[in-house]
Amino acid sequence: MALLALRGIGMRYGAVQALTGIDLDVTEGEVLALCGDNGAGKSSLVKILSGAQAPSEGTLTLDGDATRFRGPQDALRRGVATIYQDLAVAPRLSIWQNVFLGSELTRPPFGLLDKRRMAEASRGYLARLAVTIADMDTPVERLSGGQRQAVAICRALRWDARIIIMDEPTAALGVKETAQVLDLIRRLHAEGRTVILVSHAMGDVVAVAQRVVVLKGGRKVADRPVQDSSGTLEAAELAQIIIRGAASGIPLDPFLKNRLI
Amino acid sequence: MTAINGGGMSGFLTRYGAAIAGLLVFAGFALASPVFLTAGNMAVVFKETAFLGILAIGFTLALTTAEIDLSVAEVASLAAVVTGALVHGGQAPWVAICAGLAVGTACGAANGIAVTVLRVPSLIATLGTAAIAKGLGFMLTQGVAFVGRWPSSFTGLARGSTMGLPNLVWWLGGVGLAAWVLVKWTRLGAHLVATGEADEAARLAGIRTLSMKRLALTLAGACAGLTAVLLASSLSSAAPGMANDHFLYAIAAVLLGMCMFEPGRPNIPGTIFAALTLKVLGNGLVLLGAEYYWQDIVLGAIILASVALSAAGMGRAPFVKKLNFRTGK
Repeated sequence: MALLALRGIGMRYGAVQALTGIDLDVTEGEVLALCGDNGAGKSSLVKILSGAQAPSEGTLTLDGDATRFRGPQDALRRGVATIYQDLAVAPRLSIWQNVFLGSELTRPPFGLLDKRRMAEASRGYLARLAVTIADMDTPVERLSGGQRQAVAICRALRWDARIIIMDEPTAALGVKETAQVLDLIRRLHAEGRTVILVSHAMGDVVAVAQRVVVLKGGRKVADRPVQDSSGTLEAAELAQIIIRGAASGIPLDPFLKNRLI
Repeated sequence: MTAINGGGMSGFLTRYGAAIAGLLVFAGFALASPVFLTAGNMAVVFKETAFLGILAIGFTLALTTAEIDLSVAEVASLAAVVTGALVHGGQAPWVAICAGLAVGTACGAANGIAVTVLRVPSLIATLGTAAIAKGLGFMLTQGVAFVGRWPSSFTGLARGSTMGLPNLVWWLGGVGLAAWVLVKWTRLGAHLVATGEADEAARLAGIRTLSMKRLALTLAGACAGLTAVLLASSLSSAAPGMANDHFLYAIAAVLLGMCMFEPGRPNIPGTIFAALTLKVLGNGLVLLGAEYYWQDIVLGAIILASVALSAAGMGRAPFVKKLNFRTGK
């Protein structure tokens, strides 16, 4: 049974039809990549998955039960955490403040903040991602891009999220930091968590995802495993699907291919 | 960036430089004027610091959520005349005190609603509230001051001493401690800070950011109300516009406070220490024979210098971006 299933999801903004008839099954424990060009409908779908927006049509089932998220906080409480590209962390706040943002720990008898326990727990979450940072009081703005993503993921772990949606986690990162973030995703996968990776970076997608879903013009145009009997999906082929809406067999224009990959 | 939280000499200076400058000013006046360090003069300085400090703590709380409250002084003036009118009219002191606090709190709540419900930027909304409070103050009093021999149960609030310290110092200490614990040690405070630091990230993490802004502005009003009650109690009089001199001082205290202890962030200890520094400066200038207008000139220079001094930290402070204090960074 699918952990999260979408049936006939449509999204309209006034006269604009952003999504049409999306069916999608998210299997527990997989890394699912969501691809598509700008305007393909990725953001609309992420907003629906994260609870930020209710779909105009269609149903969403979580663990087999038809459901409706009342907001991002509701989705988070039910195990679906979203890490937004620019809004993941509060830059000037410390690591532990970010990990426990909105769900701070207190201790009796006065209900004051238990800073030590939050710092220690944050260190523990980071260790699970194989990230070591000496001082949990460090403001997040002084961390590398990869470490920042790790802090954002720790907040999802703090909620014990089963599904972690990552919106373009490597978009602003360098080569080394991108590798670090891909490693974070592999570790989440190894923990048995489900990751939905929204990304433009086709190399990243084929490196960590087990399955790729491609949107074009608000419709799902491809849904296939990265690894199948015919071998591994290549980044070039994925680029072709994203651009043309299907793998046509006609090789991509070499100029485009070089620009894209 | 490294200069802000960095270690070594430059880190130390960014954190404590302004506070040390404050101590130097203090030492300078102590040497230059024989009157400065006398118990009588110190009592004056501390009393003045208490009014300013409590008012500026409210301002600091609002700024913690990245909202600015330009109405604190006018609201305090209005609350003071309401309190004064009631005491003067023979009402029981507790009624007058509650009324003063209620007027301040209500004005703060009105600011909160204007900002979070009507979506008027706080810079404009609080300017509007300030004008309304000013007008109401004159309407209630017809421009006349209430002066009289008020019951000692009322004037005792701010006059006199307890355990060797002036009552006003206790008030400032109490309000300062409460505000510091709130901001630094409670979940509510963490949410206030998160709201000011990263509005959208905080909202996505489930923090009710609009409620936090409303709360902070309401608390700023409550602090103004308390300042008003203490002013009326201390002076045994109330007049429209009586707290207005504290307006620029309060802004300067908060901004100078942002250069202390936690550079670039509104913080309670910084605000209190800055309030003391400013009042020492004002008092010392008078003692040295400087004309009254020099206080305004020095105050203006301090406001400019504080923002420039902690520019690296302030440039990244969310409210600075909002107000466009620094452009082109």
